[in-house]
Amino acid sequence: MPRVSLKIVGASGQGINSIGEILAKGLKRSGYCVFGYREYPSLIKGGHASYQLDISHEEIGSTERSVDILVTLNHHGLQKNLGDLKEGGVIIHAVQGWEFSEEEKKTLRERRVRVIFLPVEAILEKLKAKAILGNVLISAFVWAILGREKDSLKTLVGERFKKKPQLLDLNMRCIEEGFGFLDPAGPASVSLPLPQDRWKECLLITGSQALGLGAFAAGVRFFAGYPMTPSTPLLTFMADMQNKTGIAIKQAEDEITAAQMVSGAMYAGTRAFTTTSGGGFDLMSETVSMNGIIENPVVFVVAQRPGPGTGLPTWTAQADLLMTVYTAHGEFPRAVIGVSGSADAFALFAEAFNLAEEYQIPVIVLTDKQLMEGLYTQEPFDASTVSIRRGALVTDTAALKKLSSTDRYDPSMKDGISPRWLPGSEAQTFCAQADEHAPDGSTCESAEGARLQIAKRLCKGDALKAALPEPELIGSIDPEILLVGWGSAKTAIADVLRDERFRGKDIGYLHYSYLWPLKTDTFAKFAKSAKKVVLIEGNAQGQLGKLLRQESGVEIRDKILKFDGRPFFYDELIDLLSPFVAAS
Amino acid sequence: MSIPLDSSGPLMKDYASTQACTWCDACGDYGIWTAIKRALVELKIHPWQALLCFDVGCHGNMADKIGGYRFHGLHGRVIPFATGAKIANNKLPVIAVGGDGASFSEGVGHLVHAIRSNYPIVFILHNNANYGLTTGQASALTPKGQKMNVSPNGIPERTLPSMDFVFSLEPTFVARGFSGDIPQLTQILKTAIAHRGFAFVDVLQSCPTYNHFATHDFLLERCFDANKEGHDPKDLAKARQLATDTSKRIATGILYQNEDVPNFCEELVPRQGKATQLTEEVRCIDPSIFYEDFI
Repeated sequence: MPRVSLKIVGASGQGINSIGEILAKGLKRSGYCVFGYREYPSLIKGGHASYQLDISHEEIGSTERSVDILVTLNHHGLQKNLGDLKEGGVIIHAVQGWEFSEEEKKTLRERRVRVIFLPVEAILEKLKAKAILGNVLISAFVWAILGREKDSLKTLVGERFKKKPQLLDLNMRCIEEGFGFLDPAGPASVSLPLPQDRWKECLLITGSQALGLGAFAAGVRFFAGYPMTPSTPLLTFMADMQNKTGIAIKQAEDEITAAQMVSGAMYAGTRAFTTTSGGGFDLMSETVSMNGIIENPVVFVVAQRPGPGTGLPTWTAQADLLMTVYTAHGEFPRAVIGVSGSADAFALFAEAFNLAEEYQIPVIVLTDKQLMEGLYTQEPFDASTVSIRRGALVTDTAALKKLSSTDRYDPSMKDGISPRWLPGSEAQTFCAQADEHAPDGSTCESAEGARLQIAKRLCKGDALKAALPEPELIGSIDPEILLVGWGSAKTAIADVLRDERFRGKDIGYLHYSYLWPLKTDTFAKFAKSAKKVVLIEGNAQGQLGKLLRQESGVEIRDKILKFDGRPFFYDELIDLLSPFVAAS
Repeated sequence: MSIPLDSSGPLMKDYASTQACTWCDACGDYGIWTAIKRALVELKIHPWQALLCFDVGCHGNMADKIGGYRFHGLHGRVIPFATGAKIANNKLPVIAVGGDGASFSEGVGHLVHAIRSNYPIVFILHNNANYGLTTGQASALTPKGQKMNVSPNGIPERTLPSMDFVFSLEPTFVARGFSGDIPQLTQILKTAIAHRGFAFVDVLQSCPTYNHFATHDFLLERCFDANKEGHDPKDLAKARQLATDTSKRIATGILYQNEDVPNFCEELVPRQGKATQLTEEVRCIDPSIFYEDFI
């Protein structure tokens, strides 16, 4: 697949993100599919951070380890990132008087890497512009190298400075300077594939933003949260949207508060959720269990990062699957949903609220740093595909009058799903009771009563499992090589399957969105007919593999497991998968 | 004061439960239980209009001995759950009930932020100065040196000065009742339910089984109605002094009330001027109205 990669590196806070965002938007508008990926250490300023854009005229959802263009805002990039360049790549830097060592020069020569010094400081001084404008200057120079039109960049930058017209002129002059700069060694260029119109009207959106839009489409009206990377961008997005949407936002004093508030709000009858990462979710686990017994719908977003402990706060992982499936005491049903990219961040998140209400259970939506901060080129979401289903919720006045307190936890209801009604409804009342209880929520410690209620609740899990779709098969419909995975690895795997080295091969990827309850019929069928089954997961133990074995008895022996805090990179995954393909 | 006999509002029997009470004889919970029901009846709040949230402990066993929509959750966590429900539906009168064990140890952070945030809910503290349901361990409010279950040598920690602590957080409503004075507690709760923000109601109660130091008789002898003696609840300095100095007599009544501070829900900018509740607004917002930022 023809793809170009562009990496901007510098210190956190130096403006690498704004260069990345300007270029990403410009490229998308020009007709390219763009995937953005950030790496940064856990600190506010300084450190060595990067923003990489991978660009294609075809669909793209992954990052390459080696890049065509490296833009570095400081000398650290010239020291640390030389090895990232592809043969024939271009380095653009702003470090006055930088001298590579003889060895580095030799490597650069051998790899035909072009190094261009852009005198950012001098140009800004000439324009009497502040350092921050260097971002626009650099963007303009890169824009020129990519062979793009000056005017399109001017339009884009004009929009960004709509609210600061006093800065507009200076920005436009920076664009002129960027385009006008001539490297003494002659013009440089990196060619892109031919653009396609289909991307122009797409959204450029992070996974967090897609989740937020999914929440609004699902009718969410309350959000409570406590900051924890990498879930914070969703908290920020919800808060930033409060004035546009009229929702109530609470930055809670801790994760337990956030979880309890959201539970109370859902009990009262609105839609609400909270978001956190693994450590914060540990604190919420007692609340998960509580919602299990009171049969309260509630939705948690868990954005994974590597643990244990504080782990790697700003890096990614798929290592909390077993935690979310097994956390919280007692036996009760729950749903665990893994989202893979912006499309299902929107759609599956909206669906999470339906499952929570229809089955009156906690629903955990698993994402990771890769998705939360990944920038996706996304076709506009179709709101007509979102339905709001509230299950056995009774709101009709006449129906409410007919309810008896003992209907609330009536164990004789089909699938264990009993009517739910809201405080403030003119009806007989009940107790949402976290002690084991009788059908009206009164405490009940009888052996028979306990057995009935526990069975009632678990029955909902069976019904949920029966209703959930089987995993999605991508690629060959009867694959010789079956790949199995979940979460954000999907977009990288899909990119690899589109690669010319894999295209036309008999490979299928079975992607699990619904991770618990786990459906295994399709998996077992294809695992039996395939010659090779390979598990691909971003954790050390092959957690989905363990669940699949537990639920189906089928063990996947070949595993590609990654647990270094990084996502699956495109070229890396090709290397890892190639032996399996070659052997078949 | 009389129990209304007309049919315009609920009756005490509407709040009755068929469940048998399980508290010890002479437990202060009976008095608080009765006062909660009386206050709701006298305010003409029907059971279906009220939300009563219970923490875990002896008081929490009230959850199925009373009418109304109820919630009985986790130890120490009643305040945030009750608050979430209130934010979702401001029309609901929400009463959260907790004990001194949970509220001043495991759940103390919630209490701090509830006072700070001025959530528009009532919080009734069942204060019997011990963990009763787990068989009489010391709470943070048990007097230092007291021998308790798990503290055979007397508790080594100093007692948490609960009222000083509460007043340090700039509360907008502080009252103290006594489980032995149901008429007064009823009046306190009625005022608390009508209060604009977070109403902290400390109820001193007997625990005949485990509290042998502040018994019903001990409290009966010392409690006095400060309002009857002319205390003005607007007088913050006096209120704090009355609340904290319990060396000779124990002041009860509405000690402090400030209605000038907006509550949390009133402070939410996006909710200004909204005629509907969050519970009435669950519908799809088409994402396309936000696309401008993403194109």
